[in-house]
Amino acid sequence: MSTGAGTTAFGASTMNPVAATAATSSKKASTMKQRIENLLATVFGAIFLLLSAVVTVETLSRKLFNISLQGADELGGYALAVGSTIAFSLALMGRNHIRVDVFHERFPKRMQAALNWLAIVSLALFGAFIAWIAFKVIGDTLQYGSTAQTPWATPLIWPQSVWYAGLVVFALVAVGYAVHATRLLLGGHLDRLNHEFQPKSAKDELKEELDDLAQRRAVETQGART
Amino acid sequence: MSVGIFGLAFLAMLGLMLAGMPIAVSMALVGVIGGISAYGVPFMDSIAPVVWGVQNENLLTSIPLFVLLGELLLRSGIADRMYIALSAWLGRMPGGLLHTNIGACALFAATSGSSVATAATVGTVALPSLQRRGYSMRASLGSLAAGGTLGILIPPSVNMIVYGSLTNTSIGKLFIAGIIPGLLLTSCFMLWIWISSVLSGTVKREDKVPLAERLRTLQFLVPPVVVFGIVMGSLYFGIATTTESAALGVVAALSFVAQSGKLNWELLRNCFVSTARVSGMILLIIVAAFILNLTVSLTGVAEAMTKWVAGLGLTATGFILALIVFYLILGMFMDVLSMQVATIPITFPIAVALGVDPVWFGIFIVLMCELGLITPPVGMNLFVVHGIRPDKGGLQDVIWGALPYALIMIGFTLLLLMVPGLATWLPGHM
Amino acid sequence: QDRLSFKAIGQPLATGLIQKNKEQPFFEQFAAKTGLPIDVDYKPIDTLGIKDTEQLRVMKAGLFDFVSLRVSQNSRDEPMLLGLDLVGASPDYATGAKVSKAWFDTVDQRLQQQFQVKLLAVWPFGPQILFCKKPISKLADIKGMKVRVYDQNLAKFIELVGGTPVPVAFADTHQSLSLGVVDCAVTGPSSANSAGWPEVTTHQLPLGFQMALNGYAITLKAWNRLKPDQQAKMSAAFDTLSKDIWAYSEELFQDALNCNAGKDPCTTGKKFKLTQVAVSPADLELVRGAVSKTSLPVWAEVCDKSNPGCSQKWTAAVGPVLGLK
Ligand code: NA
Ligand code: NA
Repeated sequence: MSTGAGTTAFGASTMNPVAATAATSSKKASTMKQRIENLLATVFGAIFLLLSAVVTVETLSRKLFNISLQGADELGGYALAVGSTIAFSLALMGRNHIRVDVFHERFPKRMQAALNWLAIVSLALFGAFIAWIAFKVIGDTLQYGSTAQTPWATPLIWPQSVWYAGLVVFALVAVGYAVHATRLLLGGHLDRLNHEFQPKSAKDELKEELDDLAQRRAVETQGART
Repeated sequence: MSVGIFGLAFLAMLGLMLAGMPIAVSMALVGVIGGISAYGVPFMDSIAPVVWGVQNENLLTSIPLFVLLGELLLRSGIADRMYIALSAWLGRMPGGLLHTNIGACALFAATSGSSVATAATVGTVALPSLQRRGYSMRASLGSLAAGGTLGILIPPSVNMIVYGSLTNTSIGKLFIAGIIPGLLLTSCFMLWIWISSVLSGTVKREDKVPLAERLRTLQFLVPPVVVFGIVMGSLYFGIATTTESAALGVVAALSFVAQSGKLNWELLRNCFVSTARVSGMILLIIVAAFILNLTVSLTGVAEAMTKWVAGLGLTATGFILALIVFYLILGMFMDVLSMQVATIPITFPIAVALGVDPVWFGIFIVLMCELGLITPPVGMNLFVVHGIRPDKGGLQDVIWGALPYALIMIGFTLLLLMVPGLATWLPGHM
Repeated sequence: QDRLSFKAIGQPLATGLIQKNKEQPFFEQFAAKTGLPIDVDYKPIDTLGIKDTEQLRVMKAGLFDFVSLRVSQNSRDEPMLLGLDLVGASPDYATGAKVSKAWFDTVDQRLQQQFQVKLLAVWPFGPQILFCKKPISKLADIKGMKVRVYDQNLAKFIELVGGTPVPVAFADTHQSLSLGVVDCAVTGPSSANSAGWPEVTTHQLPLGFQMALNGYAITLKAWNRLKPDQQAKMSAAFDTLSKDIWAYSEELFQDALNCNAGKDPCTTGKKFKLTQVAVSPADLELVRGAVSKTSLPVWAEVCDKSNPGCSQKWTAAVGPVLGLK
């Protein structure tokens, strides 16, 4: 979402001229982030809308005409494999990977910064680790020429290579964030680090969800009057 | 690995979580480090096939689908209007919309085999309305996390199917057995909302709505009733399995959105982003839970603990009471499905040997799973409901909000222990 | 004397009496049962959270030493495995034993080479038979009905007979039958009994489509730690175990059929009242015909791709047993 990064840029630019350059680059980064987010969300949504359509056709044709495509469940498994890796990335970009923040807010600023840094770095390491070990799955599949034991007899490398690409994207996004956080830490920008990487909290501004909500409410009120 | 080292590892995981490390990372880190230190490189090479196995599981596909269904109903305003209608009818009760939360959860539970999906869908639909109308976020989150657990007590239920297949108990009987406890627990939750609302002094209730207006709001119920009807009907009348019914629901919801003229790219994009964020968070935790579970099962600690509890020489009642404590503690830390699979093979034969009815024990296990879903630090429904709250407060809100319901569940389990017929009477008349 | 400590991946816990009464006790009392100084840490695969399709990969990783290998599921990674149990090749126990024996060595060599795993024995869950909730008097009656299948080969066979194959997970099948998602379903009579399928069906046709084979295998790493006399002892122990399981499986099969049909003796399951359809020579012919019509050609395509000459080897080794030209 753009609003968070935009406010950060604004806040930074009022502080000092050095940060103003950072603000420009941050604005660029935020556009880039939104583009990536849009792209990933489109792919994710397309996967599950398409799956829903296929499953609906399968279910209806099975009920009405006794014809089964035989493989909607297999497709569902692949949809989840690919869709979930994309979802990992989007959850990361939305800071949705859950953290317990019961004590976090009570820690001093420097400790919060250290923990926020550690949290994103550990997530990046986890993402990189999964991508690294998953490469073995791809290698094995290629070596064995694995073929799904299903009516479609899908060569396993097709869904798995897309799944793997999704894991790599997740790892890259996470490492990107971790590098950014490390630069903020080393540069001493603890406030910005804490602002961008703290667990989501009430202090955060309201996001697009609430704009959306207000919009719907306006329409509702209008609807109620007519 | 000795129980002592295992205890230390568990404390380390707890420490990581409380220090604010991501939950998924804390679980995976302890699983990976524990596994590699005990079993070396072979353990590491075994993780990847496990990860693919989890991510390729069609049963879990229903999670993003049900979340997407809820998002569509929510963002097109359909669910908002349903909420207006339900609150017009239920809102006068002390506690107001919180009753609607529980009612909607119970209704949705009858279409969903999973508590996580129930909490996610109803929560997505309900939370913005609750926030807008100024309900305490704590109470709202608690009612949704707890209401969501009804998803596995009211049939269909994934956990009952797992229990039935592990213990050779009739799944049909288990489903039937879940109905009365499901409705009773729903009533208990509503009763609590009523009482706590009256006790709090500031009785929160909605304004009285004139009858004509209330009747007019019934039209708002048409799209959600049709969507729920398609999901529920396709399940009950033999047209679809759980994941398929979720897909049918998505298509139906999408056509209602299109019909309302609100279908546009902006709306879809928002639905996709939110669905991906929520399900990405849940699924990463599930992946981490499986990595941790591999280590836990290899060490055999769950079995050791179960054997220890079983070895105390208790009566049936004493055994069940001990199990409540045992599952309460285990459920704090474990994913409930892993917990089920790891412990039932040991606890079930003992329970049966002590004369406990298998169907009754199944309902008991499901209740313990429900409890585990809302106890911190690892409580999937807590995470889910927290993940979709619109105001981004702390996790402690949902933890405290769900606490009374956890106590009610324990109380309800004791009631079931005293009156076993609540679970066994209906299936006995099949 | 050094005591060795091995880890074993077992069948899922809910699998049934063979797992419960033969497999688990054998591994848990390994030293006593084999006379070898080896203790085995036995873990049912579902408690580990590992999917059965991943068994060969996990074995290759070396975390475990023994595996109770599911043949059909793991033919994903090694198609040769399925040659042990093609649809129609083993309609009864005697034929099943001969077929799997004829193909055993080829599979063993391949597993050693590809996965560094040695096959010790092969055993059956038992004939996979048909359960229906609509009246049938012969196999051909499933024409136009929806039939739950568990893999590609069976799906092709059901299509051949004129049914609509619907892949459904075992755990979902009870619900799918009761809801009418499927009209018929295929599994072993004992599994069907314990999963309560007779509650939601009316007929059983005791004609085996496949034997549902499994194997016991050990990693070469673990195997090579043993002295030659120990290896011989271990081979003998697994031989004895598998012979024991073949006999037990046949007993269970008959007993479960009785239970499902409400007849005596019924000692291992719950009594139900299914109508038992008599197997006609025409039915038997239909099933046997599946080998050359569907299951061999379908399998040959996959197997030859990963391992040229695979199907030729099969025809040479197993063909004579079945009287195939
Ligand atoms: Na349910
Ligand atoms: Na918990």
